[in-house]
Amino acid sequence: MPDSEPPEIVERLVGFGHALRDEGLPAGADDVLMFCSAVAELTPSDLEDVYWSGRTTLVHRRDHLPLYDEVFRRYFLGHAPPPGAEPFAAEPVSQGLSSTLNVPDSEPGAEAGDDRPMVLGRQASGVEIRRDKRFTECTSAELAALRRIMAQVRLEPPLRRTRRRRADPSGARLDIRRMARDAMRLSHAAPALHRLSRTERARPLVLILDVSGSMADHSRNLLQFAYSMRRAAQKVEVFCFGTRLTRITPALDRRNPDDAMRLAAGRVLDWDGGTQIGASLDTFIRRWGRKGLSRGATVVICSDGLDRGAPAALESAMERLSRLCHRVIWMNPLVGDHADIPPSTLGMMAAGPFIDDLESGHDLASLESFAARLAHVG
Amino acid sequence: MSDQPPSETPASVAELQEQLRSAGYLASRGLATATLIGMRLGRPILLEGEVGVGKTEMAKCLAQIGGRQLIRLQCYEGIDTYQALYEWDYARQMLHVRALSESELTDAGAVSGLYGPDFLIERPLLSAIRAGSDAVLLIDEIDRADDEFEAFLLELLSDFQITIPEIGTIAASSRPLVVLTSNRTRELHDALKRRCLYHWIGYPSFDEEIEIVRLRAPDAVETLARKVVAAVQRLRGMDLAKPPGIAETLDWVDALGVLGTDDLDAPAAADTIGAVIKDRDDLELVETEFDRVVADA
Repeated sequence: MPDSEPPEIVERLVGFGHALRDEGLPAGADDVLMFCSAVAELTPSDLEDVYWSGRTTLVHRRDHLPLYDEVFRRYFLGHAPPPGAEPFAAEPVSQGLSSTLNVPDSEPGAEAGDDRPMVLGRQASGVEIRRDKRFTECTSAELAALRRIMAQVRLEPPLRRTRRRRADPSGARLDIRRMARDAMRLSHAAPALHRLSRTERARPLVLILDVSGSMADHSRNLLQFAYSMRRAAQKVEVFCFGTRLTRITPALDRRNPDDAMRLAAGRVLDWDGGTQIGASLDTFIRRWGRKGLSRGATVVICSDGLDRGAPAALESAMERLSRLCHRVIWMNPLVGDHADIPPSTLGMMAAGPFIDDLESGHDLASLESFAARLAHVG
Repeated sequence: MSDQPPSETPASVAELQEQLRSAGYLASRGLATATLIGMRLGRPILLEGEVGVGKTEMAKCLAQIGGRQLIRLQCYEGIDTYQALYEWDYARQMLHVRALSESELTDAGAVSGLYGPDFLIERPLLSAIRAGSDAVLLIDEIDRADDEFEAFLLELLSDFQITIPEIGTIAASSRPLVVLTSNRTRELHDALKRRCLYHWIGYPSFDEEIEIVRLRAPDAVETLARKVVAAVQRLRGMDLAKPPGIAETLDWVDALGVLGTDDLDAPAAADTIGAVIKDRDDLELVETEFDRVVADA
């Protein structure tokens, strides 16, 4: 900071940094210092210079730009419009999805509407009697136990080969570079053979959970499953959908499972509503999938395939998804223990050709065995 | 290391905009401000934005106006220090050793010569450090490289010096101007972002884009340019999987120019749509609406 700068301006600029921090925008002390130096360098003639200096030094993410604009407006201008009211290219948000919340009454488990999943820790009530044991029949004590066990499921994520190589005595490729180096250092002794092989990394895993009315019996447990996956492996992304798609990955990063679940539940606005699988998957592909989130990934869709949207939309979304990712796994609780007989819902018939593996996930045993097998299906 | 900015740093944002303009690049005030601050304070500039909005072009034009050398490092998955920094030319060293042993030259100079500049293959980052402020270092599509490389880059961008064990430490006498670009296929590490000035390049407004077409394709007929830009702007509003960037606008103008068309009507658009839309699903969507896309503004 040059001495010529009057200290009031510095105070004002630092105050702006604090105002941003108060609004939750992470402007560190070094960022604020940078901001002040930038303003000093430019010797601003008007507020627009201050605006752009701050925008380039204090903001590190595009998502923070609207917040920055808002705070800037309030701090420097009262509530007047911003100086550089730039038309920020808005990201395509919810692609005109129909938001009608049809609770399909012809579907099993629809009567569970009184079981608000926001109130976690309570058990689902009024479920129909089924032959084999499912989550919905557990008492709350059993559910707590399930949650504990699920958190302990040691997840082995599927691996993929990378372009990097590492030293490996049984590798397929000779490390010429290292051999030449050795040959020169060790005068002319016959060089030992060094070998290389490709390194392996965890494949990204994307979980897309159906939380619509027909899945109400399972959605909470799937959420817990997603939570334990997220805790157990790196590179796990979790999305929920009913009629619209919500990314809940950040919410699941809480240490306390109940907190994580409550936060995630709070983010999803369409619990127990209708189902628009095609439109939701389409949103996923456009907003996240195409940008690289699903490239080389194992995508797991957890849904019963009871769809209120057009089958053609689901079919085209599945086709694009299958081209973008490494493997599509569909977990359908309706499959039950008969994984060889695919359920004959319209949604499953439309999606069928693009599914690599059909899993059940209707009870704990099947979820556990799925987690154990995941390393090998990838 | 001196923090003195090179003498040719523009005096004001307006001057930088003017210089870039003469090089054929229309920079918004925000972009020019970020760049000027980066030049003055010796900080890298991180440009993010959709595909084809001129991130890479910006670095090229910066090199051009400052009379600097453009050093480009294209990132890709698995890139490592050998491809980014330097590598010894082992094959040549071996041949040299053979030649030395045959002529039985064993003095110390001959051996140390093995690790001299003759045998060092410079990669972009080392070249940039050597060139200092005479260079613009473009680190393109950093989001494609993996995390390990990002961490390595972090170290380099803070010190601008590297250590080659056989030679010693090479430090930049003055900082090169560093421009990083990212298509945002993944979130970059916060530590790297903190080292950089951040600017998001969005799609230009109608008037800005007309101006860009005028600058980059001066031969294009004005009315054609206006129609193409209007059509592209409408396409961007059409909820496509891959909306066209500025590069596509310019390609489209060029494509129509090659065909000698002075007007953009539905048949002409249908013939040349491949310059703008490069996704089959998008194509199907657009094909049903050619008349609306090319309608008069």
